[in-house]
Order: sequence, then C-alpha cells, then structure tokens
Amino acid sequence: MATIPFSNELLVFQQNRDEWLRSSLGKFVVIQDSVVAEGFFDTYSEALKAGIQKFGVGRGFLVKQVWMTEPVYFVS
Amino acid sequence: MGRAELRWNPSDPKDPGPLIDIVIMNSPEVIAAGRLLGLEYPEARPLKALIDTGASITVISKRFATFCKLFTTSEGSEIRTLGGSYRCGEHAASISFPNTNLHSISSICVFSGDFIKEPRDACLVGRDILRNWRITFDGRGKLVIIED
Repeated sequence: MATIPFSNELLVFQQNRDEWLRSSLGKFVVIQDSVVAEGFFDTYSEALKAGIQKFGVGRGFLVKQVWMTEPVYFVS
Repeated sequence: MGRAELRWNPSDPKDPGPLIDIVIMNSPEVIAAGRLLGLEYPEARPLKALIDTGASITVISKRFATFCKLFTTSEGSEIRTLGGSYRCGEHAASISFPNTNLHSISSICVFSGDFIKEPRDACLVGRDILRNWRITFDGRGKLVIIED
C-alpha cells in the first residue's frame, strides 16, 4: 500500500498543534519524520533554509504554518 | 524599480488575460544542497503565466513541478475553484521574470495542481506575488503595467 506523503510529519504537527498555537501562531515549523527542527520561523523562506540546514534535501521535509484550522486557498 | 508592460484585450474572448514570461526553478539553497549530494536539476524553461487576481496563491501544473524537480514541502493542501475542490502539493521555488527588469523572488512556496484543459506547463501568478507589485490596467490602451 502506498504511503501518504508527509503522513508522519502531519501526525506530529497535529499532536503538537494546540501547544504551538499558544506559543507560535502564524509561524512556520519544519518537520521530517518525527523530528522537529529547532525554532519557529516568521517566513516560509526562513523555514526552508532551516530545514535544509537541519535535514538536507536528500528527502523531503514538511514546512507548515501554525494555524488553528487548515487553510483553504481560493482560485477563481 | 522594475517595470513590465503586458498586452491584454479584455474585449477579445480568445485573449486569456495578461500573460507574463516566467521562469520557475528550485530555490538557490535547494540547488546548492542538492548538488552536494550529486543531484541534477533541469535547465530553466520559461513559460507564459497568467496574472490572476482571483488566485490567492501561485499555482503551476503538477507535470511542470515534476519536470522542474521542485522540492516538495507539503502535500494535500486544499484549493477551491468554481469547479470544485482539489488537493495540491506545495513546493519551494524561485521565480524570475525574463524580458522584464522586475525583481526575482529567491524563495517562495508555489502550489501544484492538475490543470484540466490547459497545456502541461500552465501557471497562474496569484496574489502572493501580486501583493509585491503596483499594477495598473489601461483599458483603452489594452495594457497592463506592472511596477515593483
């Protein structure tokens, strides 16, 4: 059975979301497997750089902004 | 200050809208880190992108994201359109605008989705990029002027 991309990382995000909402609403977090890169980041660009520094680009890592609900993007 | 002028005739139903030349590739940090691992990346391939004030984000076709080997930073984000709701990928990209002197963007999140009736290299430039620009539409002159 094919694994869903970033399923582990999204699970870690879900497990920590409430705590991160209190401390870091709107900031970006970086996760690979169950490892969370140290710190929260103001921009996607900063988070990307931190992710590359921590994990490299041999495998993907999740960059996600801390919001209460999942954002929905509109294209019309 | 960068500037670009795009022709657009809104009275012509065959005119898709203001199109801008764009080059999308991996961000410099990703390319540098990838090359250290021996990874190779394709040459940049320019395409025409539609300036879309109705799009909150910048979207490219999944096929083009795969061709560019864009570094993926999320999957499953939801995009809603008039036609329904779709799941898309998120990628770290750098964007430049050849044939203009508009400033390049070295690192931005772009979304990839399946464009159903569009050529394989489709791209919509959304408000995440447009918010950096001053855009003037001269209806009589059929001209869109972008300044950054």
